[in-house]
Amino acid sequence: MITSVKPRARRQVVKGLSIVAALTLTLAACGSGDPEPADPNGKITLSVTVWNLAKTPEFKALFDAFQQANPNITVKPVDILADDYPEKVTTMLAGGDKTDVITMKNVTDYSRYSSRGQLADLTDLAKSPGNAKLAGLDAFNVGNAYYALPYRQDFWLLYYNKTLLDKAGVELPDPLTWDEYAKLAKRLTQGEGGDKVYGAYHHTWRSVVQAIAAAQTGGDQLGGDYTFFTDQYNIAKGLQDAGAVLDFGTAKSQQADYRTQFESGKTALMPMGTWYISGILEAKAKGASDVDWGLAPMPQVAGATGTTTFGSPTAFAVNKRAEHADAAKKFVEFAAGQAGAEAITKVGVVPALQSPEITAAYFGLKGMPADERSKKAFEPDKVTLEMPVSENTSDIDTILNEEHELIMVGDKSVADGIRSMNERVKNEVLN
Amino acid sequence: MTQALTQPTPAPPRRARAWRDILVGWSFILPNFVGFALFTLVPMLAAFALAFLEWDSYSSPEWVGLDNFRQMFGDENFHVALRNTLFYAAGHIPLTLVAALGLAMALNRRIRGVQFFRTAAFFPYITSLVAVAVVWNMLFNPTAGPINQLLEAIGVAEPPRWVASTDWAMPAVIITSVWRDMGYYMVLYLAGLQTIPREYYEAATVDGAGPWQRFWSVTLPCLRPTTFFVLVMLTIQSFKVLDLIVVMTDGGPGRSTLVLAQLVYREGIREGQFGCSSAVALVLFVIVLTVTVVQFRINERRSAT
Amino acid sequence: MTALPDTAARPGAAPAPGAGGAAPRRGRSTLRRALAYAGLSVVTVLVLVPFAWMLSSSLKRDNQVFTVPIQWIPQELRWSNFIEIWERIPLLTYLGNSAFLSVVITLLQVLTGSFAAYGFSKVRFPGRDALFLAYIATIAVPWQAYMVPQYIMMQQAELTDTYWSIILLQAFGAFGVFLMRQYYMSIPDDLCEAARIDGLSEYGIYWRIMLPLSKPALASLALLTFVNTWNDYMGPFIYLTSNELWTIQLGLRSFVGQYDAEYAMIMTGAVLSVLPIMVIFLFGQRYFIRGIATSGLK
Repeated sequence: MITSVKPRARRQVVKGLSIVAALTLTLAACGSGDPEPADPNGKITLSVTVWNLAKTPEFKALFDAFQQANPNITVKPVDILADDYPEKVTTMLAGGDKTDVITMKNVTDYSRYSSRGQLADLTDLAKSPGNAKLAGLDAFNVGNAYYALPYRQDFWLLYYNKTLLDKAGVELPDPLTWDEYAKLAKRLTQGEGGDKVYGAYHHTWRSVVQAIAAAQTGGDQLGGDYTFFTDQYNIAKGLQDAGAVLDFGTAKSQQADYRTQFESGKTALMPMGTWYISGILEAKAKGASDVDWGLAPMPQVAGATGTTTFGSPTAFAVNKRAEHADAAKKFVEFAAGQAGAEAITKVGVVPALQSPEITAAYFGLKGMPADERSKKAFEPDKVTLEMPVSENTSDIDTILNEEHELIMVGDKSVADGIRSMNERVKNEVLN
Repeated sequence: MTQALTQPTPAPPRRARAWRDILVGWSFILPNFVGFALFTLVPMLAAFALAFLEWDSYSSPEWVGLDNFRQMFGDENFHVALRNTLFYAAGHIPLTLVAALGLAMALNRRIRGVQFFRTAAFFPYITSLVAVAVVWNMLFNPTAGPINQLLEAIGVAEPPRWVASTDWAMPAVIITSVWRDMGYYMVLYLAGLQTIPREYYEAATVDGAGPWQRFWSVTLPCLRPTTFFVLVMLTIQSFKVLDLIVVMTDGGPGRSTLVLAQLVYREGIREGQFGCSSAVALVLFVIVLTVTVVQFRINERRSAT
Repeated sequence: MTALPDTAARPGAAPAPGAGGAAPRRGRSTLRRALAYAGLSVVTVLVLVPFAWMLSSSLKRDNQVFTVPIQWIPQELRWSNFIEIWERIPLLTYLGNSAFLSVVITLLQVLTGSFAAYGFSKVRFPGRDALFLAYIATIAVPWQAYMVPQYIMMQQAELTDTYWSIILLQAFGAFGVFLMRQYYMSIPDDLCEAARIDGLSEYGIYWRIMLPLSKPALASLALLTFVNTWNDYMGPFIYLTSNELWTIQLGLRSFVGQYDAEYAMIMTGAVLSVLPIMVIFLFGQRYFIRGIATSGLK
């Protein structure tokens, strides 16, 4: 280091400033009081962060059921807009917020909060025999400890428009391979211009191509070698070049909405997550759509046995600074358990706890398709995590997303795009 | 206040005057400055300090010296974003300035319905961003969009693919942002135009100046303070552009419209790497400060002549 | 006071130079007028297209909003959206909250901004310009960069989830200071000098000369501050948690869910939220045309 007087003085100033900042920030970090001793008979108000309370009926269903089971606890939802939920939660936690239960909207956010030590350890709950078979629980394993329990598990399947299939006189093969899917999509494409009906609709998310390829080929999205994407990209690009799906550029730039595409009969086939089931049910109940629909398992690679798809769990966690830590744990356990699962099934949400009874209850909902294939679609043999969790997840996610766009708009060939994914992930993240 | 200062020791009048000016000056500035310093400056300084620390919003910060900057300059994303931001600024600043001034000149007259036109010109700024993004993306659609149909009609064989291409996405964003911001700056220019005394124009007309000469010799020089303001604000807003890009292209395709403010956001709130985020913000601040100082100097020299 | 120009009340003093003064031939002037209207109309259409989309979407069903290609005229006009939205969210409360915040912040910004601007433009003291430069350069720092430290401060002061946080954060921006300073710079110093000779204090000059003279600038500052506060989303989102404190922008975003959004409702709300701004803009405009003549001295 060069030692001249002036830069040093400046450095001192900077250092001094930083220490002041450090002090303020640490102060905030230590600012929380100890959790109050819980009075077993006293009334407790448990605060829970949620997104869009009015539009997300599962929360109210859970809270009502929980309050009924625990009359001395009142749940106070902290309503946060869904759009920027993680931002606000990050900011709140940084400020030393004491909200008891924090809802984990996705696994990536979970890994951030847990690695910073902002969540309470729930390993004992996760390891209890009743919770061992929760779908998606593995995703929350961080160095053999758990800081959240999933209550909801969405996975991907294939939605199809019965009317369009009947009109074209085709039937979905069972099981369906990707090649058959592509052929079918081309055959189902009809019309021109504004009246065009597409054989399939692929939403612009990279998971539509990448996560399914990873799930079905066993490839690792964090590994740095993405040649396993190739087949899936060829299918997606092939359909786009044949005009059998709405082209990516248009879909992306005009924010084409998958609900519009499917509910207005603009598309015959659509791979999408289970969360959309409650959306269709609602649209049909309101008379906003008259689509005659069914569910099928995700198409598989040729020669595969069983159904493999991907999914993403949603979970509840306890804030380390929770004011009512015990009640919060009680709530998390309740939501993940049988009673919680029953409560959210009633509003059309797929619970993490799966059992034949729950599935039966689910298909008993008004408006659900009743055929065998739809039911089969609901019981995939294997559900892998949409994106594995590690410290590199979000950096890699960003790169894969950027290159996905370039391949899909035709700026790069499939081979070039994948090569550049390999290079960038290795150079920018894994080095 | 001035009395209290000057009474005990009768200082030389000039020094008293200087002290008085300082006091009076600060008394004007203070009400705004107190609020500004407390609620913006202090957190901002803390954020700048964070650029030299490693902090994840929870554990105690650690002093890391220039590591964040080293990491930032080694990060390709930073270079891409910096290049894109400069490109955006180079297009957005002059085009918006000209468009806003043109609109203000056109609408600073007493014709029937001018209120309606002025309100309309301000509408892009208050129209929902989602609507702006959807409609402009539709206009820019490479195959079905009206813009390319027009270009083909006038004989452009291979019109640009706009938002679906890495080369033309940024120009498309620039055009949209000029369209959106021109009404905003028009308001400022309209206010500026009110300061020009009518006599100046009359004098110029008597001297035989045409409309164009009057514009160059009267309007532009009289508008200099406004232009300086518009220029600085435009520079600042170009360098920290975020919201329009997020809804229109979200940095894509690829990284072709990734800008610095997006990095600040991504690294900070999303990734929790507040040190890196602050480092980028500090660089942004230094760039803008430099540009502003240059503009300030040029402005002073011009108004001195 | 004698030096004060008596022209302040003169109606419509400054016509644009392009307006042409006395046109020699009536025919040419009519033609030019027609051309001007034609040009303005073209620009207006260009400028209003996205707004038209907003309007059209507000009359659709949610799953009809993002059709490809765009459907400009809805198959069925759902005027009921404009009734439904009042039942779905407490729109009146949200509008009221937005109005309250916008008015308070605008008032404070205009007052403190124009006051400080006088210090920065008409009083000379050492360090003034450096301070000013630093002041405006801070506008360049993206809010996301210091959002968290700011939040921690507010949390310590227990001001989160109150209007105080938003008001304190936004009312003292450097923007108003800068805008007003530039306007004052264009008002000749001789005017102040003359008033000083007449025995007016600096505060008197600010209040009795500068403020009345700077009405167009005050109007545009007020308008722009109002619009920015009205449309601000991130600030209220981070600081206001209780539903009864929410602003209209938060209310509109509450139609966006985790996987989908009710775009028709969002656009309906967006149309409604633009109306107050439109009214203010239409009324505020008279200040842009009321001429002031600052050359009264020369």
